[in-house]
Amino acid sequence: MSSPSARDGGEAEETSRQPRAEETGSQPRAEETGSQPRAEEVRRRWRAGGLRSIAGVVAGLALIGLWVWAAHLLWHSSEPAGSHLAQLDPSHYFSRAFLARSASYQRFLDIDGLLSTIALVVVLVIYAARGARLMRESAAGPIGTGMLLGMLGFAIVWLAQVPFGLAAVWWERRHHVSHQGYVSSLVESFSALGSKFLFVSFALALAMGLARLTRSWWVLAVPLFAALALLFSFLSIYLIPDTHPLRTATTLTDARQLARVEGIPNTRVEVQNVARFTTAPNAESVGFGPTRRVILWDTLLDGRFDRSQVRAVLGHELGHLAHHHIAKGVGWLALFLIPATALIAYFTRGRGGLGRPEAVPLALLVFIVLQLIALPLQNIVSRHIEAEADWASLRATHDPAGTRSLFRTLASSSLEDPEPPTWSYVLNANHPTIMQRIEMVNAWQQRNPAR
Amino acid sequence: MNEHPIHLVTHDDLRRSRLTVFFRALLAIPHVIWLQLWSYVIVVVAIIGWVAALITGSLPAPLHRFMAAYLRYDIHVRSYTLLIANPFPGFVGREGSYPLDLIVAGPQRQNRWTVLFRLLLVIPAAMISAVYGYLVLVVAILGWFAALATGRMPMGMRDAGALGLRYVAQTAGYALLLTGSYPYSGPTAAAATKLVPPTGPTTPQAPTDAPSADPAATAFASSDPASFGSQPTPP
Repeated sequence: MSSPSARDGGEAEETSRQPRAEETGSQPRAEETGSQPRAEEVRRRWRAGGLRSIAGVVAGLALIGLWVWAAHLLWHSSEPAGSHLAQLDPSHYFSRAFLARSASYQRFLDIDGLLSTIALVVVLVIYAARGARLMRESAAGPIGTGMLLGMLGFAIVWLAQVPFGLAAVWWERRHHVSHQGYVSSLVESFSALGSKFLFVSFALALAMGLARLTRSWWVLAVPLFAALALLFSFLSIYLIPDTHPLRTATTLTDARQLARVEGIPNTRVEVQNVARFTTAPNAESVGFGPTRRVILWDTLLDGRFDRSQVRAVLGHELGHLAHHHIAKGVGWLALFLIPATALIAYFTRGRGGLGRPEAVPLALLVFIVLQLIALPLQNIVSRHIEAEADWASLRATHDPAGTRSLFRTLASSSLEDPEPPTWSYVLNANHPTIMQRIEMVNAWQQRNPAR
Repeated sequence: MNEHPIHLVTHDDLRRSRLTVFFRALLAIPHVIWLQLWSYVIVVVAIIGWVAALITGSLPAPLHRFMAAYLRYDIHVRSYTLLIANPFPGFVGREGSYPLDLIVAGPQRQNRWTVLFRLLLVIPAAMISAVYGYLVLVVAILGWFAALATGRMPMGMRDAGALGLRYVAQTAGYALLLTGSYPYSGPTAAAATKLVPPTGPTTPQAPTDAPSADPAATAFASSDPASFGSQPTPP
């Protein structure tokens, strides 16, 4: 196995050796009679180079075509076109006092998040420039050292983001959205950093291992990472802490009935205990096949939400599972990884390629910046998927009033701004806004006037 | 005193990176997982080795090499996690690759009776090893604060940790049939741990520190600079 630099060196040596071979012994004859064969050789090489360029362009266009075709397939939704009414006035659904309070609450969190992102980028830029110095802290080989540099990059980012995280906790506590303590919040985020370390180590071990084998490592890395993401999604239920099976009889009955309606009978529902950290309600769907689950936070079942509202949540999460949103998410990830890994390979060439540990800080910067650039697009996809799940819920529950009241209660319990400013919507909203969701409910009701 | 077939050599300069010290427990996670995976294989290899040693009277050389590498890697990871050494270790337990290294002598003939009853014989040593393990942990916790504050590990703490690790390594080596010599826990235990004095301008002066003044250790370091006198070579 040879490192990219070794390959580079080898090629350089080979090209520098060629003229010497031509010079030795045959120089006089080449001057007299060799000009025609040499010109022929140049023409042959030029033709070969041209053919290679054409093949490269064709392959590139084919890849782009495949990419667009795959994106088109993944974009397909069961939500009909025009399922939103014209913009509604939020003051018809929420008091002016709530609208002002939620806007102020969200504004602080948005600005805090923005500053945190700026800190992230600044830290990574500095780390990309100077991080390679930390190689001295490693006695491991190139891949082990790369893993260390990857982890240290995330460690420094964590340190830089701690103040913003604590500011968010302070703000949430002040508005009674969270009652998590500062120390508890720090310990939790520190522990979560352990998972990030493990993830980045594993990802770098694979990517660097491939990069040390071939310069086109990214072509192999994309399907490999997509397969691993699929495996992770399949096993994710086992990584969610503090869960227990749903025991509330009425909710269990509703879950079974809705699962049958949505075509995924026998889907299990579990409850995650989070009430000691937060009052915010939430739910999620995880896994596929035998590990398919709906997870309800216990804050959804503490009495603030009535049966019809919990049914709407169940319908939404089951909608995600019924429409294979988890697998689609992995598909979108693969589509993102194609340009992202190719660009990482391109940008790290100056440091000898990703196979070398000194390229890792730069690779981290490139990856995070690409993620930030792609964030608005990711949010568009995410909102599209969430809208489909909302529509699936309405079709399963046939309860627009319950769904509408759910969205109103969700907004009031999380102090969510029903209609955030455009910049915040573009950068942060991975769900439709509360008003968009209410608009969809009204649209569904117009299409099904009997309900 | 005869040298134990399993002993430690340290070539640590006591410098500690505050950044890696702060995150040390998390940075060790990939190693801990890899070590765990490796240990599953070791269980199988140890059983095969036990049968082979019962028949032939010594551990076959390939099995000995494999288990010695495992034990060396285990000690590298413990040294890193418990702040007894500074750099991030490699993943293969290669000899000479880490400032705190485990030296394991080659396969020796062993008494078949002690091989047969090895798991029973190791129990007393395992109990002492557990006590040493707690000692090393306490040293690591105190050392964490000291290293964060000063950027250095106090030499006494580093040496205490190394001595604890040495006993742990000898016990594990005895259990894995890497040696027939029983772990040594005597009062002059430092003799089995070669503590090579740190060099350079930041070397702390410790005239009363017996291990670092050990002439054998110094001579060993200077006579074999390739292994112990220079920065470890990455595998």
